[in-house]
Amino acid sequence: MTSMDLRDGRTLRLPWPRHTGFVAGARLQLAIFRRGWDSLLALVTVPLFTIAFLAITRHAGRTDLTAYAVLAPAVVAVIGMAILTSGEVVTQDRSNGSLELALAAPSRFPIVVVGRVLVVTLVSLVAVVEAWLVAWIVFGVRVPVPHRTAFAGALAVATLATVGTALLMSSVFVAARSARTFQNTISYPLYLLGGAFVPVPLLPGFLHPLCRAVYLSWATDLLRDCLATKPVPDFWPRLGAVAGLGAVGFAAGYAILIRVVDRARATGRVGHE
Amino acid sequence: MPPAVEIVGLTRVYPPAGKRATARTALDGIDLVVERGEVHGLLGPNGAGKTTLCKILSTVLLPTAGVARVDGYHVVKDTAQVRARIGIVFGGERGLYTRLTARQNLGYWAALYRVPRKIATRRIVELLDRVGLADRADERVETFSRGMKQRLHLARGLVADQRVLILDEPTTGMDPVAAHDFRALVRSMRAESRTVLLTTHDMAEAEAICDRVTMIDGGRLLGTEDPRTIGRWISAYERVEARPVPGSLAASLAALNGVTEVESIDDDGVRVHTAAEGATQAVLRTLVDAGVTAITTGRPSLEEVYLHVIGARGLAV
Repeated sequence: MTSMDLRDGRTLRLPWPRHTGFVAGARLQLAIFRRGWDSLLALVTVPLFTIAFLAITRHAGRTDLTAYAVLAPAVVAVIGMAILTSGEVVTQDRSNGSLELALAAPSRFPIVVVGRVLVVTLVSLVAVVEAWLVAWIVFGVRVPVPHRTAFAGALAVATLATVGTALLMSSVFVAARSARTFQNTISYPLYLLGGAFVPVPLLPGFLHPLCRAVYLSWATDLLRDCLATKPVPDFWPRLGAVAGLGAVGFAAGYAILIRVVDRARATGRVGHE
Repeated sequence: MPPAVEIVGLTRVYPPAGKRATARTALDGIDLVVERGEVHGLLGPNGAGKTTLCKILSTVLLPTAGVARVDGYHVVKDTAQVRARIGIVFGGERGLYTRLTARQNLGYWAALYRVPRKIATRRIVELLDRVGLADRADERVETFSRGMKQRLHLARGLVADQRVLILDEPTTGMDPVAAHDFRALVRSMRAESRTVLLTTHDMAEAEAICDRVTMIDGGRLLGTEDPRTIGRWISAYERVEARPVPGSLAASLAALNGVTEVESIDDDGVRVHTAAEGATQAVLRTLVDAGVTAITTGRPSLEEVYLHVIGARGLAV
């Protein structure tokens, strides 16, 4: 039960929560997924990437990299959906004409977007299950998770950080000029700087500071360490880095989205239409 | 109790879109009152400022100057209250999630308007039935005709049981049957004492469903009229095209009461402009009596009527 202040000083008790915009966004995105599988294409690529990466590591005799080869396709799919699906949420609303109508509704539009982006990110986690299953079914490899609780915690925090990054992308893509070019080119730099394919310590030293500014680099390193048998070093500080950078991305994305909405009201245009 | 819509000195200037562009005044200090339970038409040609006014009232655009209130609430300072009270339907097919069903679309908008789910479920069924889409409730919107999408838009505008509705050119592109049905829906809203502000550039539509009509052009209100007056204008300002019309017959036509102009078209034809009730019949009778059979009549464009009205009364309408 929430309340609304009336002009005469009375308070009106509302039988519905103010966060219904979040729930509305989440339900909308689920419905869109059910009705249009093309927005889930990133998940289709997971088996292909998993087979390719595992085939390479096995051919090279590097079974010690099996966990890396399984984790990489999942990370690529999660980030791919953050860029291509979450990143399109606001832009598509602008294109189909529903953005102005949503801005005229009582629910706060940025909250609606957060609900949608959260659902996209949660659905993208199917990629983790896919990669593990393909490794098992195709190669007979069962990738153990020795630190299950730590892995689950790291995955949960990484998921929330991805929501923050996805929100940032959806707002930047609608606000920026030449956003489509940016959207099409950002994925591979992000995979590399985020250590999705190659762990950050193996990248050239001059890239390390840049990598450490990306939450994904902390997240992938942490997830990989959770798949090793030795103890996970500095778990909490590293988890904090994932959460902190994710929070920064979320705050920036939310602020940009509010600015986009304010500018739309001021100029009559949403971003660079 | 405040009026449903109250506008005082409302101005909206769009900033230049580029370095060489200039600022554009879409609304120029307009004043307007729409009483509760009224169906009020806003009549004007494309670019008159109708959509800008609708956007300001629905809080998605800020005015440059002036005040607009909906149900007594300021559209800039009390956006939450205004948004909860107003339903908006923009013209055209856009604004729906076409891959989703009609029911899913309405469910989403009901949630955005914070309608409790139990109430929303019941209301969506009622609305779909009311707009004639009950049988198509669970079909994807992408399979709908333009008229069906417009009716779904109207249902969307009513999903939170809003008492003030803004319909921005809702019948644009509709076929005549769909437009007729749509107008019947608007009349039923009046019967429920809802306030409707409807923009259109169709004089006949304004005459058919509005209690009062305000004409707008170039961002300025030209005046508010009873729709019957609009109807008189439509019947008065007509034009008749005929051929072949010899010069002597053209002179006879020009001499008739209510004929304002006879202009030559092509080699042997004329276009006769009238500005009084009954003048068209007199022109037609004269032409037929003279043996002319290639005759067409047409209603004036909105701009032509404006020219007549403004020419006769200036801007102090």
